[in-house]
Amino acid sequence: MLAYVARRLLVAIPTILLLVIASFFLMHTAPGGPFTSERPLPPAVLANIEAQYGLDQPLWKQLWDYLYNVVVHLDFGPSFVQKDRSVNDIIANGFPISLTYGSLSFLAASVVGIALGIAAAIRHNTWLDYVAVSLGIAAQALPNFIMGPILILTFTLWLGILPGGGWNGGQWEYLIMPVIALSTSYMGNIARITRSSMLEILNSNFIRTARAKGLPTRAIIWRHAMKPTLLPVVSYLGPVFVYVLTGSVFVDLYFSTGGLGQSYVSSALTRDYAVLLGVTILYGALTVVVNLLTDLAYAWFDPKIRY
Amino acid sequence: MKPIAKLAIAALLSGTALSGVQAATHPVTGQELAADQTFTYRLLDDVSSFDPQIVEDVDGANVVRDLFEGLMNQDEEGNLVPGVATGYELSDDKMTYTFTLRDTAVWSNGDPVVAGDFVYAWRRAADPATASPYQWFIDLMSLENASAVIAGDMTPDQLGVSAPDDHTLVVKLTTPLPYFPQMTTHSTTFPAPQKVIEEFGSEWTKPENLVSNGAYTLTEYMPGERIVRERNATYWDNENTILDKTVGLIINDENIALTRYLAGELDLTDVPAGQYPRLKEEHPDEAISFPRLCNYYYTFNLSDSGPEAFKNPMVREALSLAVDRKVIVENVMAGGQPEAYSFTPEAVAGFTPPSSAMVDMTQAERDAKAKELLAEAGYGADNPLSFEMVYNTSEAHEKIAVVLSQMWKQKLGVQATLANMEWKVFLEERGNQNFDMARGAWCGDYNEASTFLDLITTPSGYNDGKFSNAEYDQLIADAKTAEDTTPLYTRAEEIIAAETPVIPIYHYAGVYMMDSDVGNWPVDNVEQNWYSKNLYKLAE
Repeated sequence: MLAYVARRLLVAIPTILLLVIASFFLMHTAPGGPFTSERPLPPAVLANIEAQYGLDQPLWKQLWDYLYNVVVHLDFGPSFVQKDRSVNDIIANGFPISLTYGSLSFLAASVVGIALGIAAAIRHNTWLDYVAVSLGIAAQALPNFIMGPILILTFTLWLGILPGGGWNGGQWEYLIMPVIALSTSYMGNIARITRSSMLEILNSNFIRTARAKGLPTRAIIWRHAMKPTLLPVVSYLGPVFVYVLTGSVFVDLYFSTGGLGQSYVSSALTRDYAVLLGVTILYGALTVVVNLLTDLAYAWFDPKIRY
Repeated sequence: MKPIAKLAIAALLSGTALSGVQAATHPVTGQELAADQTFTYRLLDDVSSFDPQIVEDVDGANVVRDLFEGLMNQDEEGNLVPGVATGYELSDDKMTYTFTLRDTAVWSNGDPVVAGDFVYAWRRAADPATASPYQWFIDLMSLENASAVIAGDMTPDQLGVSAPDDHTLVVKLTTPLPYFPQMTTHSTTFPAPQKVIEEFGSEWTKPENLVSNGAYTLTEYMPGERIVRERNATYWDNENTILDKTVGLIINDENIALTRYLAGELDLTDVPAGQYPRLKEEHPDEAISFPRLCNYYYTFNLSDSGPEAFKNPMVREALSLAVDRKVIVENVMAGGQPEAYSFTPEAVAGFTPPSSAMVDMTQAERDAKAKELLAEAGYGADNPLSFEMVYNTSEAHEKIAVVLSQMWKQKLGVQATLANMEWKVFLEERGNQNFDMARGAWCGDYNEASTFLDLITTPSGYNDGKFSNAEYDQLIADAKTAEDTTPLYTRAEEIIAAETPVIPIYHYAGVYMMDSDVGNWPVDNVEQNWYSKNLYKLAE
C-alpha cells in the first residue's frame, strides 16, 4: 500500500512537470504579452519592465528560473498585471474561497445525490422513485450557468432575500446561491449513478442470500448493499471534487466571489503568465492528489481491490 | 484636570457633536443628508495597483485619486482647483513652474506632506528600477532629462524636479507645455511616502501598511471582490468631506452588475449597450447619460501591407460617407452618444469641430456622393471592392461591425467580411498592420485636443493605420507651444476630413444607472475624474 502511494507520487512529479512545460510554451505561443496595450509602451519603458520580470531572457532560461523558484523557494513569482501582488498572494487569497464553496457544493451534491439515489432504488417504481428521478434529471439539465441567472433573478431581484454576489468575508447568505448553482448538476448525476448501482446490487445473489436467511431490510441495505453501491459513485466523486474546485470559473465570475476561477480566466486574457502557470500547477497537483485518494478509497469500499 | 483643559475637551466634544448634527443637512445646498454616508459602486475589474506611480487602469486611478492627493485637483466641471499645492507660478520663459504647498497637508501616519515627497515620487516614476508602465507619462510632461532617466542614461536625481524647501516644488520643463498644470491631477504625479515604501517594499500597498495623504484611507481589500476606503481624519480638508465610506465591488459582467444595482446593492453601475432607452423609461431619475472624452472609429491600413484600394482617398471618403451614424447611435448604442464627424470629441475643452461638407449633407446626399466617389475610383458591380474589418470580441463591437458592413453592402455593393479577435491578439495584429480595416477607440488622458490628435501623427506609437501627412505633423507639433491652438486644431481636423485616414463613428457617452440619492456626481467632468470627497448621499 505504502509502496503504491510512493509509486503514484513519483509518477505525479513528471506529470506535473510536463503540464508546466506544455502550459509555459502554449502560453508564450499565444499572440500578445502581458504588456501589450492599446498605447504601446515606448521601447525604453518596455525594456525596463521586461527586464524587471525577466521576460528579456531566452524562453528556456525563463522556464528554468521559474521552475527553480517554484521547487526551491515555493515562490510562484510576481503577477505581471496586478502589480502589487505575488502569485502566492493571489492563490492564498482566492483558493480558500474556491475551496470553501467548492467543498460545500461537493458535500451538498454527494449527500443529497446519494440520499436521493438510494431512496429511489429502495422504493423502486413508486412515486418516490419517480420524484427522485425527475429531480435528478432536472438538476442535471441545469448547469451552473443556467442556475446562476435563475437563482439571482428569483432570490435577489424578485424575493430580495439574498445578496446577488460577492463574498463579504464568507457570510452564509453569500454562500447559498454559489453552492446551489455549482452543486445541482453533479447532484443529479450522483443520484442517477447511485440509483442504478443500488438497483443492480439489490438484485444480486448475495443480497438474495441475505434476504433468504431472514435479515431485516435495514441491515441488508446498510451492512451489505451500501459499500458495493458506493463503489461507482466514489469513482465519480473524485473527479467531481476536482471539477467543483476548478470548474468554479463560472460561479466565480457570475457571483463575483473573488475566488481563484476569476484570476484563472483573467490571467489567460491578460497574459498574466505567472498567475496562469501558478494556478495551472495548483489545479494539476490537486487533480493528481484527488485521483490518488479516490483510488485508495476503492480499496476500502471493495475488499477485492488490493494495492 | 484643570478647568481650562476640561473646557477645551468639552469644546472639542461639542464640536464633534455639532458637526454630527450639521452633517444632517448639506452645508451649501441645505439638502437633507442620509445618516449612512456610504457610496457603493461597481468596478469592471480588479485594480492593477494602489501604488500611484504604478497604477495604470481607470478603475485603479479612481481609487488612487481618493487615497492620494496631488498638487492640483479637478472640480465637478473638470476645472483645476488646489490640491496639496495652493497654487503655482510660471516663469517668463514658460518652462519653470514653482508650486507652493500648503502646510496643513499631512500623511495618514501624521507626517507632514512635503515637497520632497513629490520629488521622490516623480523620480520613482521615471526610475527604470521601478518599471512603471506609466513612465512615459513623465516623458509626456516634458520634465527636464526625463527621456534620459527613463532610458537609464542619467540617474533619477537628475530629473527636472526639486524641492528648495519643504513647501516649494520647482519643476523644469524642456519645452513650454500649456496644459502642464492639468497633468498634475494624474495619479502618476501623486506624492509617495518614501519611509513607508522603504520599510515595507512591495508590501507597502497592503491596507495594513498603506499610508496615504488623500481624503480617504484604504481599509479593506478583498482581491477580485471589494475595495473599501474610509474617511481619513488627518486629511487637511476633512471637515468639508461628507461621504464617510466608498465601497467598490468588483463585478466583471455588466448585466449582473445591473441586476445587483436593481436589487439595491449598488449606487452606481454602467448601462450595457442598447439598454438605456428601456431603463430611462422605467427609472427616469436614475438612468443618466452625458458626453465623455472618448472616440470610436475604424482605421484604414495605409501601410504597404494594407489593401491597394485604401491608398485612394476617394475610396476612404466614400466608405465614411456611407456610414449612417444616426442609425448606430440611435439603434445600436442607444445611450445618448453623439454622432462623430471629427476625430476629436466635441466635449473636449476649447475644441469646436470645424464645419465640413459632410456634416451639412443629408444622409441621402452622402450616400449619393459615396456612390459617385467609389465609381470614380473604379469600383462597381464589375470590380467590387472587398476587404476584411477586424474588431476585438465584444457584443457591442460586433453589432456595430455588422451594421457597418450591411450599410456598405446595400449602398455601395462593397463586400466587407468581419473578423473578431480576442483583445491581445487584436492589439498584436493591429499593431503589426495585419489588417485591412480595424476598430479603434481612445479616451483622452487629459482634456485637450492633442490627446486625440497626437494619436495619428507619423511618430505616434498608436498610429496603427500608419497615416502620415507632413502638414498634419507640423500642425500638431506647433500646437504644443502655440498661444492659440484653435486654428491649428481646426486645420488638423480639416486634413482628417479630407484625407479620411479614419472613419469616426461616434463619441462616447457616460451611460450610468445612478441612485437618485447620490449627490454631486461630476456629470460635467468629461474625463470622469471623480473624487469621493465631493460626493454625498441624500436622505431618501
